[in-house]
Amino acid sequence: MKIQFLELKDDYAKVLFEETSPYFVNAIRRTLMADVPKLAIENVTIYDNTSALFDEIIAHRLGLIPLPTHLDLLNFRDECSCGGKGCPNCVVHYTLSKEGECTVYSGDLRPEDPMWAVVDKNIPIVRLLKNQRLILEAEAELGRGKEHAKWQVVNGIGYKYYPIIEIDMEKCNLCEDCVKICPRDVLEIKRKKLVVKDEMACNLCRSCVETCKKDAIKVRGDEKRIIMQYETDKSLSAKDALMEALKALHHKYDELEKALE
Amino acid sequence: MIIPVRCFTCGKVLGSIFEEYKKRVYIDGEDAKKVLDELGVRRYCCRRTIISHPVFIKGNEVKEPIDEAAQYE
Repeated sequence: MKIQFLELKDDYAKVLFEETSPYFVNAIRRTLMADVPKLAIENVTIYDNTSALFDEIIAHRLGLIPLPTHLDLLNFRDECSCGGKGCPNCVVHYTLSKEGECTVYSGDLRPEDPMWAVVDKNIPIVRLLKNQRLILEAEAELGRGKEHAKWQVVNGIGYKYYPIIEIDMEKCNLCEDCVKICPRDVLEIKRKKLVVKDEMACNLCRSCVETCKKDAIKVRGDEKRIIMQYETDKSLSAKDALMEALKALHHKYDELEKALE
Repeated sequence: MIIPVRCFTCGKVLGSIFEEYKKRVYIDGEDAKKVLDELGVRRYCCRRTIISHPVFIKGNEVKEPIDEAAQYE
């Protein structure tokens, strides 16, 4: 099995798995979505809210804000040595206090320690008019995507087979129908020859195969090579998220092995 | 309402993106397609959430429905 990052940014990754199978990559996809731990606001105490939005809506919006997740410093609250009471090892506190006229942004959440400062500081939470106030305290804790979507690190995750496009030049009459119909601009005509410009862009829709009257194109997917892409919400970097997913998967198989023994 | 923090369908954070989108599209008059591409909004679920969010343009200000609603306590 080989792995290669075709594209790797802080919050986006495109990965090529070689010598693998769809079942294995699907296990990674599901673990990435449901089992990677992440920090999110869970309890909110509202002291004053005279804004146009209800307390519940504000608490809901706060919960969805991505927070930086340092997994080596935090435990799950129910597994923590404090017994779920809430200690610095499992809960991160934030405070917010603002008076209008202004917009309250996610950056206005003040953490107890600057290392927990919100990553994306420009998410609007609520708009305050003159004399309207919002004062609250929030507790953030670790959770997993299967509990609530606010704890889901990865979004827009999917995979496809590696496209294989075969062109039979003896049958092709250079009518250009396939070049025009391709939604991803995969094909082009170069020096009176139909060539593949960018095979990885192909999404296996097969509209070129359907439109070709001469049966000159064949498109199929290689099941042993799989391209997977995903985004993260910046609470973890794309590479860290994949590492955590593999750790979670590993842990599950370890548990199974122990149960068998 | 105010712009959703995340995309309803996929969960991508859109709140911060919409702030810039508002400025560039409704005030500077840039092409919406170009702005969305540059801001990294790839999927059509996120694109519809941004495009279909209602705004009122008053002179040089872009207001969302919450600005109107906030006036009536």
